[in-house]
Amino acid sequence: MSANDNKMDINNLSMFYGDFKAIEDISLDIPAQRITALIGPSGCGKSTLVRCLNRMNDLINGVRVEGEVILDGENMYAPGYDTIALRRRVGMVFQRPNPFPKSIYENVAYGPKLGGIKKKGELDAIVEDSLKKAALWSEVKQNLQESGQRLSGGQQQRLCIARVIAVEPEVILFDEPCSAIDPVATQLIEDLMAELKRNYTMVIVTHNMQQAARVSDYTAFLLVQEQGEPGRLIEYGETNTIFTNPEDERTERYITGRFG
Amino acid sequence: MEVRKTFHEQLDELYRDLLKMANTSVETIERTRAAFASMDASRASSIIDDDDVLDDFVMKIEETGIELLARQAPVAIDLRTIIVIMRVAQHLERVGDLCVNISKAIVNLDGYTVSPWIQENMEQMFQRSVKMTVRAMEAFRERDVAKAEELSKMDDTVDRINRTFLTSYNKESEEELELIIRVVMIARFIERIADHAVDIGENVMYMVTGEFVEFS
Repeated sequence: MSANDNKMDINNLSMFYGDFKAIEDISLDIPAQRITALIGPSGCGKSTLVRCLNRMNDLINGVRVEGEVILDGENMYAPGYDTIALRRRVGMVFQRPNPFPKSIYENVAYGPKLGGIKKKGELDAIVEDSLKKAALWSEVKQNLQESGQRLSGGQQQRLCIARVIAVEPEVILFDEPCSAIDPVATQLIEDLMAELKRNYTMVIVTHNMQQAARVSDYTAFLLVQEQGEPGRLIEYGETNTIFTNPEDERTERYITGRFG
Repeated sequence: MEVRKTFHEQLDELYRDLLKMANTSVETIERTRAAFASMDASRASSIIDDDDVLDDFVMKIEETGIELLARQAPVAIDLRTIIVIMRVAQHLERVGDLCVNISKAIVNLDGYTVSPWIQENMEQMFQRSVKMTVRAMEAFRERDVAKAEELSKMDDTVDRINRTFLTSYNKESEEELELIIRVVMIARFIERIADHAVDIGENVMYMVTGEFVEFS
């Protein structure tokens, strides 16, 4: 993998919650227009890591980061880096669908409006395009003025994806996006991710190993070796290799269920 | 902590079924060898009748294997083990079919006298193919890559004896054509049994290393 195929380079990244070191010395490349999955047991630091990729952790008191995350050649942890612009470029979809208590239309138009787009025609086009890309348009086009919170869980999650897409990000982070929705809705989201791969770089945290195996191109396995230690990267490689012939015995033991 | 205990118990059971099947296959080659050595048509017939046992084994192993693939979505070493168990079962079943082919030839040779030269060389081939099948299954059980690789060398001897049957026949022209053809066919069948042992070895390599190899 040559350097310019990578959208992000995570270099020697450690993160502390106060005195507690949550992840240690993680180095990982995120290839452009691919899906990278982060897997590992609960508490291994996979959610912490994904939240480092758009500086979501900055919002928590006492958080300190060492190392760097390079996005298109620039370290997002460098002093003076524009985090508002960063979060537009690197969007996030959360575990629980969290539409705003507004109409479907307003949910999607919210970001572009904040970004200064005011013309109705322009906003209409963005809303339609984003809902289409999120594979939700045909289900909601008649009811755009209904509350987003009245949709089903799976629809709400796709609405949240549309909301992210509407601000034209380059990277989409998914933090266990399917853990609160049913299997059919999960399949829809997975198909959607495969579609979105053409235009976006994606990182997904999932505790469902089969989901990682199904959707991702690359998989990173994180683990806390001893209680109280930070999470470390154990193995990173092509998903196909990780799930058929992993190199590290700890990866093998985890994915085959030989330890929890 | 083991979190997939039930699945791993099912996998162990599948594994044990394969070892049982392998014992039956080896026994079948042994019986076929004895039937040829004594040119005993009734012994040969009983081998033909008993082939169902191996067919049942392979069916059961495949059914369980498919079920585990569908329901447990195994990965890594578990995935490779299930795939290899299913493939090895196929090879062992083919070994049984070849023993049936040999046994049919033995039945058809009723009344012919087979020369000591043929007996001796055929005995050699039978013994080697038994040894190779046993060795292949040892390699499987012990996950022994070196043992699996040795099979290729052992196969060379079987191939060589097999070729001797073809080349030596030009000189022994007194023997009847039907006898010659059947003996050459039997040698060829035994040679195929040895090839299956080599294939099992290749599968062991895949199971252990995750690499596809072709022993030549």
